[in-house]
Amino acid sequence: MDQDLTTSSAAPPVDLPAGRRTSRVAGLGQYAGFIPALILYGVFFLVPLGLIVAYSFWTVVDYNVVHDWTLDNYHYFFSVPTYVRTMWATLWVSFAATAITLLIAFPFAYWLVRYVRRSLQGFFLILVVLPFWTSYLLRVYSWINILGEKGAINRFLLWTGVIDKPASFFLYDRPAVILVLVYLYFPFAALTLYASLERFDWNQFKAAMDLGAPPRTAITRIMIPQMKAGIVTAVIFVFIPILGEYLAPQLVGGARGVMIGNLIVNFFSGAQYTRGAAAALLIAVLIVILLVIFRKSLDVKDPYRA
Amino acid sequence: MRDVEVVSKHARLARFSFGSWAVLVYVFLFAPIVLLVAFSFNANKYGTFPFTGWTLHWYGQVFGDYQIKDALTTTLKVAAEVTLISTVVGTAAAFPLVRSNLPFRNGVRIGMTLPIMIPGLLIGVSLLVLMTSVFHFTLSPQTAVIGQSVYTTPFVVLLVAARLQGFDPSLERAASDLGANTVNRLRHVVLPLIMPAIFAGALFAFTLSLDEFIITLFLIGAHNTLPIYIYTQVKFGITPEVNALASLLLAGSLVLIAVAFALPLAVRKMRFAFRARKA
Repeated sequence: MDQDLTTSSAAPPVDLPAGRRTSRVAGLGQYAGFIPALILYGVFFLVPLGLIVAYSFWTVVDYNVVHDWTLDNYHYFFSVPTYVRTMWATLWVSFAATAITLLIAFPFAYWLVRYVRRSLQGFFLILVVLPFWTSYLLRVYSWINILGEKGAINRFLLWTGVIDKPASFFLYDRPAVILVLVYLYFPFAALTLYASLERFDWNQFKAAMDLGAPPRTAITRIMIPQMKAGIVTAVIFVFIPILGEYLAPQLVGGARGVMIGNLIVNFFSGAQYTRGAAAALLIAVLIVILLVIFRKSLDVKDPYRA
Repeated sequence: MRDVEVVSKHARLARFSFGSWAVLVYVFLFAPIVLLVAFSFNANKYGTFPFTGWTLHWYGQVFGDYQIKDALTTTLKVAAEVTLISTVVGTAAAFPLVRSNLPFRNGVRIGMTLPIMIPGLLIGVSLLVLMTSVFHFTLSPQTAVIGQSVYTTPFVVLLVAARLQGFDPSLERAASDLGANTVNRLRHVVLPLIMPAIFAGALFAFTLSLDEFIITLFLIGAHNTLPIYIYTQVKFGITPEVNALASLLLAGSLVLIAVAFALPLAVRKMRFAFRARKA
């Protein structure tokens, strides 16, 4: 009996027990649950972010941070060609990795929804997520086994005689970084695209084909436009975290694969807090702008007050 | 879906191509992990190709390594504290998020998920500045706990809020009509109903904490968690010992997943048996 009640979801929010609640837990009391979160987020999330903003406009004199407001850190960042190049490289690496991830994930999601029996779809999805549940560090690390100088690819090429000495090309450059990023973020894209394809009404697909559209046209003109929300969500989950990637470029990118995350870490571990803060803020601002744009295009409605 | 029979003569080819694509995707997803495990049994002391024979030697080394033991202890301690903090803070915040007359509810919700959306790198460096330049704390596993909690708590909030949103308000109304006060309603009606979500949130926080790298790197100071330890080892290449350690961690997380899937089922079964006995 109670099973029935609990499963009847999509209920309106609890405005009850009506009269009693408003009188007893009136006013501010209802927000009491936020207090621990306010302390945690306020002191250890918002304040530090504010500090980063402030630091990015301060300077260091004789190893001491001086509270003079200035744009020096930004001038410095943009005056060093390597940094500017790294920033552009970060953008295009993120873009390329996101595009490739989606291009791999779309046919996969299509296969899963279209050709796999519904009862088996859950199983195949879990298989996709499984590597994701293993350590993030180890997923990056495991690629060194494949791409490294003594890795699988080199061994294979040596064995087939395509090359006669191990090439280090596969590791320590941007292609390796992109490959590993695709690997790291594929599950996000696959899951979101699957979720949006799964809701797709295949009768429309049939209708398009009945009206003479070849499958390709039915996919590009009927299916993909309806998956817009899913695609945008996938981009949010892939592109934005890649912008702040540190580990993948660090482990497989080497000197030629540096991204802005590595710059930030270098600044901070070199105790150049103000310059590091400026670089960090550039990334943060970029992400916030992207999130606002994406959110707009998603037009999220309040899920708790349908 | 299955009833869509494509009227194209290329239908079979299409099915075959998409199927092969999926196979390639799974190879791509699993090959690195399978290789990693295979190498952990490889006698080759460079931890890579070629295979020179099977051995358990590297596992023996892992178990004998006191640095690894230290790192494991720290990792588990940190994870336990992070789980406790984020479960309590997250569950408490989920209630007003769903139930109060909150202005800008959606804004608050998005604000709460911000620590997930922005790169951990930024959380790490900004907390580093706060801890060292403002509070003048010595970096320790405790500072890492705080940093990780900032990142894991939103997951608990989201999970518990979804569950709170999902359950039937008339249950609570009924309890209230039967004379249950706020505390009793919470203890006997609400908490049992949202327990699965709280549990899922705790498990999520625990796993995320075990695995967390970048925030910890900045905040843990002279100590090591397992990810940090592995990082310091692999910066300069692969070692067979790390392959073995990695395989063990892999096995560990598989067990955790199995528990996560099996436990709700077991609980349901137990409840069922309990109810049957009472009846």
